[in-house]
Amino acid sequence: MKHKTLWWLLSSLTILALFLSACGAPTEAPATAEPTEEATEAPTEAPTEAPTAEPTAEAVAPADVAASLPRNETLYFNGQQWGAVVGWNPYSSSNNNAMAISQQDSARVTMFETPYLYNMLDGQVYPLLADGDYTWNDARTEITFKIKEAAKWSDGTPVTAEDVAYTWATHVKYNTPTGASNADYIDTIEALDSQTVVVKAKLDENGKAVNPLMVAAYVSNNYVIQKAWTQTLEERTGGDATELLADTAEDVVYSGPYHKFFTDDTKVVLIRDDNYWGQDASMWGKLPAPKYLAHTIFKDNAAGSVALAQGEVDVSQQFNSNVQVLWLNYGLPVSTYLPEAPYGIGASLPTAFYNLNSYGLDQLAVRKAIAIAVDYPTIIANAMTNQSATFDQVPRSLMNPTPGEQALYDHEAVKDLQWAGNDIEGAKKLLDDAGIVDTDGDGWREYNGQKLSYVATCPNGWSDWQAAIEVVAAAGKKIGIEITTNYPEWSVYQTVVTKSDAPLAEGYDIFMMWSAGAGPTMPWGRIRNMLSSEFIGMASNWNGNWGQYSNPDVDALIQAIPSESDPAKLKEMYTELVKIYLSDIPSFTLMYRPQSFHTVNETVWTGFPHQDDGTNPPVPPLDLTDGWSIAGLYNLTLVNP
Amino acid sequence: MKHIIQQVFHSGKFIVGFVILAAVLLIVIVYPLLIKDAPLAIIGQGTFFPPGTYVNAYDSLGSPKYILNLEHAAAKRIASKLSDDDRLAMQEWLVAAGIPENEIDISNTEQLLRQWENHYDPQTNIAGMTNAKRNYYIRLNASLKGLLSTEGAIIAVKNADTGALEETGDVVAQSDYVNIGQVANVRRLPLGTDNFGRDVLTELVAATRVSLQIGFVAGIVATLIGLTLGLLSGYIGGLVDDGIMFITNLFTVIPSFVLLILISFSIGQEKRGAVTVAVVIGFTSWVWTARAVRAQVISLRNRDHVNLSKLSGHSLVYIIFADILPYVASYVVMALILQISSGILAEAGLSILGLGPKTTEVPTLGLMMNWAMIYQAPVLGKWWAYLPVLVTIALITFSMNLMNTGLDQVFNPALRD
Repeated sequence: MKHKTLWWLLSSLTILALFLSACGAPTEAPATAEPTEEATEAPTEAPTEAPTAEPTAEAVAPADVAASLPRNETLYFNGQQWGAVVGWNPYSSSNNNAMAISQQDSARVTMFETPYLYNMLDGQVYPLLADGDYTWNDARTEITFKIKEAAKWSDGTPVTAEDVAYTWATHVKYNTPTGASNADYIDTIEALDSQTVVVKAKLDENGKAVNPLMVAAYVSNNYVIQKAWTQTLEERTGGDATELLADTAEDVVYSGPYHKFFTDDTKVVLIRDDNYWGQDASMWGKLPAPKYLAHTIFKDNAAGSVALAQGEVDVSQQFNSNVQVLWLNYGLPVSTYLPEAPYGIGASLPTAFYNLNSYGLDQLAVRKAIAIAVDYPTIIANAMTNQSATFDQVPRSLMNPTPGEQALYDHEAVKDLQWAGNDIEGAKKLLDDAGIVDTDGDGWREYNGQKLSYVATCPNGWSDWQAAIEVVAAAGKKIGIEITTNYPEWSVYQTVVTKSDAPLAEGYDIFMMWSAGAGPTMPWGRIRNMLSSEFIGMASNWNGNWGQYSNPDVDALIQAIPSESDPAKLKEMYTELVKIYLSDIPSFTLMYRPQSFHTVNETVWTGFPHQDDGTNPPVPPLDLTDGWSIAGLYNLTLVNP
Repeated sequence: MKHIIQQVFHSGKFIVGFVILAAVLLIVIVYPLLIKDAPLAIIGQGTFFPPGTYVNAYDSLGSPKYILNLEHAAAKRIASKLSDDDRLAMQEWLVAAGIPENEIDISNTEQLLRQWENHYDPQTNIAGMTNAKRNYYIRLNASLKGLLSTEGAIIAVKNADTGALEETGDVVAQSDYVNIGQVANVRRLPLGTDNFGRDVLTELVAATRVSLQIGFVAGIVATLIGLTLGLLSGYIGGLVDDGIMFITNLFTVIPSFVLLILISFSIGQEKRGAVTVAVVIGFTSWVWTARAVRAQVISLRNRDHVNLSKLSGHSLVYIIFADILPYVASYVVMALILQISSGILAEAGLSILGLGPKTTEVPTLGLMMNWAMIYQAPVLGKWWAYLPVLVTIALITFSMNLMNTGLDQVFNPALRD
């Protein structure tokens, strides 16, 4: 008995002590001399130990060096990599290799490179492997661009137009994710000569390109992969598509400035290729500043935040709640892209979708009542800790808060439709007028005699979304509609939400999903994802329109926009779409969210992108690895050289 | 019975534990009667407001004004905007901008501010200055505006028709004070707000209540199962004993917390109410009660009074309840107390892992911890969001353990003083 008591006392004390120790204010990291010394020691040690077996000594060295990278040569990241790397295969989308491979609107160009780099700040693309701007032919069915003379693969051979063509041919032949998602828009990619590439669009029955926007996006979203290496890969895998995609590609040839140095389940380290072609005057003219790009694999956001505060992470792309505390209260050398709230540039619209098949949610009055009753300022202040523009600053539409997109619709024309939220009385009146009232006196409204009761949901552990959903549920209570919350695990949630060939399961009446961010096809691509009925009836729908909204007028507009090049017409069409969206309310945006969060700690490095940093074109706050943001790697300097 | 209670209340440890627990219970019962705010109402727009008294700024403008001429008011006002560190940083900037160091007197506020105003330019790029530092100077510069002004602030309202500002004639002088008691809206938040903007104290009281309920339910379930199995196993013996001990041993080797995690996870969040969680905790923590009760019963089974009872033809149930249970009762009460406190801890542990009860319906101590952790309160130094919760958990378990030790001393002759 005595022991038990003692044990309990001890355990309660230990728990108390554990949490107390966790609450200490993070102090500034001490000078980083120590790791540097260790690292310089490592190479001298290795050869003396095994002078005869040189290959083994070399194989051991990366692990040794990776264990204590020279701090002054390493840029540390967090928030990208959440598990061990699977492979280095640029054809596959399941490498779990966020530091090296991510083909997206702002493609990650650390190891593999795209012909063009997209810049989300000005909406332009800038040549990388390509030489100069691309040109459309007059009929807008073909894009032509040249490959830079200087562009070289890591094995020293030049990057050629043939590589671009063969990459596309391989994507199609093996039906890779890239091939599958672009095959409807791109017919062929051909090499006219060793430097000139022609991308031919798929044509519709009228002889016009099916979707010129998607064709243009291809050249900034997708990597160029070496033909010779691809052929090696094909030979090795015997032409089998599954095996080709599953290959880990340790021998891959790349063109980018970084490549694999070390990976295990605790960290990923890329090392600079000092022969990188980009130091040619026709591109960057020098090498990027950090020799190593390293990403420690943290257990969770909290662990990553602690590391950021302690200066063990330089660039953080995770959501650090109340990030301003780090500089306001702790005086740490931490900053974000904007000095004040919302701290970053909003690019996507996390949105609550209505399940339009749920009882009563087919009624506009119910959808609108809930949407206008929600307390958006509280969502932004509490769930997002003010890291989102408010709906007073950027009224709701289908556009993200960037000036380029905001200019695409007529603000005056939809002014009356843009609700600000917190309109409890308005919501009540709307429901009363629609005859949706509490008939049996239980405090909840009924529609045709059946109580309106919904479940609002989002994945478990997605803290800012969960907090937002709580606020949505609170709004329901205020207007007499019962909304409870539920947070399934992501593995369950995603299978339910992305299945659009049947009505959504029970318990998914109001649910949160993301929208597309910034990219060369935006805002068209985002609007299509949010509203187009083409995504209904798919076994696995990762595109959007998860609430299964269908409106022929909207579909027609979405169909027409990509071929339209007259700005005035475009504005008219976009305004019409916003008008329909805000009148039909198939979903409602809860907050604005940056493309990726961008918080930097300037303990070791400085010169990170920030508003008015004088860069031209401006470097976007995207981790210094994505699209044009990689330009930021060339601007970094050491705080204490 | 009276004698036993008297004895129990002579134990110092028991009394201390009892008083703490009673105080907690009293607060849990009385607080909601006095303060009727809904515990889960989101009142704060923003996260983690620090503890304190919140006075409505708008209402205080219209409250009766009192003029107090206090000696250090101006100095305090300046100090709140311009700390010693700020002065040093200003000096650093001015030196970098080319002002000779001996011309800067950081203790002379007026001179320092004049120099600052004349020389500071946010556009100037100082070599080696980080963006974080640059932002700091911009913030500092903004907060210094009008710092030395002795004029009052003029209140103006917007004309609804023209949109122009019209002075109301009200001037708030620097020596004006209001009495908090006369301001219409004042809210005391002794423990500030949490990440949702909820009043932590109100939430904490409600959460303590729920956690205690979970603890009681879990403790009673565990003790009932353990007691029943222990009594049957110990008294009947033979095959029944073997069977029950087999199951008990199975449960002993599987760590109960792992079992708890697995069961909670498989129930799924939609079905995890506070009661369900409590029952699950109870079902996974009965093992050592069962073993201990069985051991005691085995030693009791062959006592004379039990044999006598058997000879008299009493039924099994009667013998267990009348002849055996009273002898293990003191032990069972102590076990119950420990089970309750471990039930509260188990709930907290589960909730921190995100496997606790559903969020919206009821607050629990574990859920409060969970959200404080998710919103990084420990990293950000927002102690009021989690420390009071920890202290409450510690107090409850501590008080129960003290009571248990006290009881032990009373009932266990070997430990008696």
